[in-house]
Amino acid sequence: MDEIKESAEDTASSLDTYARNPLVLGLLVGVFAAALQGLLISAGGPEAYGFCVACHTRDVVNDAVNSIAGTKLAIAAISQNAILPVLTVIGVLIGAFISAKFYQEFKTKTGSGVSYLWYLLGGLFFMAFALFMGGCPYRIALRVGYGDVVAFIGLLAIIAGVLVGIKIATAIAEREG
Amino acid sequence: MVAVGWLSKNVAVIAVPIVTILFGILIGWLAQRSAFCSIGGFRDYFMWKQTRLLYGYLALIVGAFIGYLVFWLITPQAFEHFFWLLTSGLTPVPGAPVGLTVVGYIILAIIGGIGVGLIGVILGGCPLRQVVMTSEGNVKALLFVVGMCVGAVVYTAWISGWVVSLMKGLGIA
Repeated sequence: MDEIKESAEDTASSLDTYARNPLVLGLLVGVFAAALQGLLISAGGPEAYGFCVACHTRDVVNDAVNSIAGTKLAIAAISQNAILPVLTVIGVLIGAFISAKFYQEFKTKTGSGVSYLWYLLGGLFFMAFALFMGGCPYRIALRVGYGDVVAFIGLLAIIAGVLVGIKIATAIAEREG
Repeated sequence: MVAVGWLSKNVAVIAVPIVTILFGILIGWLAQRSAFCSIGGFRDYFMWKQTRLLYGYLALIVGAFIGYLVFWLITPQAFEHFFWLLTSGLTPVPGAPVGLTVVGYIILAIIGGIGVGLIGVILGGCPLRQVVMTSEGNVKALLFVVGMCVGAVVYTAWISGWVVSLMKGLGIA
C-alpha cells in the first residue's frame, strides 16, 4: 500500500518538475494553439488566434457589455459566431487558482491605495497598446510563428520597450535608495 | 473562401467556449507552476543574463511554428494563409484596427510594442503573469486585470477610431 502511495507521489512530483519548466509550457501551448485553429476555424477567424490575453479578454468583456448594455462593441469573428466567446483567460484564472491552492501557494497580497491606482491605469494602457499591435506578447509569438512580419516588428518593439523600462525602473530604484 | 476546420461550423460554434476554457485551464496550471512570463523573460535576460523564462517564450514561437507547419501540411484549408509572409506579404494578420496601410500597421506595432514592454517591466509582468498572480491572491495584479477590462471597452469604443482618423489625417495610414 505504501509502495503504491509512494509511486503515485513520485509521478506527481515528476509531473510537477515538467510543469515548472517554462519550455514545456512554451512548446505545448504553441502546438496546442495551432491545433485550436485547425479545430475551430470553421466558427470564424482571425488566424493565429489560439491564445491572446489581451484580445481574448477584449472578446469576453465586450461581448458581456454588448449583452448587458445593448452596445455593438467589436469582437473577433470567432467570438461573434460562437455560442459564447473564447474563454481562454477565464480558464487561466481557474487553472492558476486550482494550482495555487493545490500547492498551497495561494496568499492574499495587498498593496497601497496609490499602487492600486497605478496598476489599474497600467492595465488600461497596457490593453490599448497591446490592441494597437493586434495582440499581447503571446499572440505576437503565435503570429511570428505564422509568418507575420509586422508581428516580428512588434516583438522587436517590445524588446525596445523592455530596455527603456529597465532604465526607468533602475533610475526609480536608485532615487528611492 | 471560408476556411474549413476539422470540426464543421455547427459543431465548432458550440465547441469554442468549451475547448478554449479547457485550454486556458492547462495554460493557467503550467503558468502558475513555471511563473511563465514573456516580458519577464526579456527583463531577466537583459538584467541578469538569466535565460530560463526567455527560452520558454522562444519555445512558444518555435512550438507555434512547428504546430502550424505540421497541421498546415495535413489540412491546408484550415490554415489558409500559412506561411503569412509568402501568401500575404508584409500585411499583418488581422487583429489591429482595420483599414490602415502597411506603414500605418508598422507604426502602430512599434508604438504598441514599446508601450507593452515598458508597462510590463515597470509593473512586474506581462498580462499572463498578472492574470496568474491574480489567481494567487495578489490584489495589485487583480487591479491590473480590472484595468485591462476597462481598457478593452474604452479602446474599442473610442481610442481605436480616434487613432485611425488621426493617422489618416496625418496622411500616414
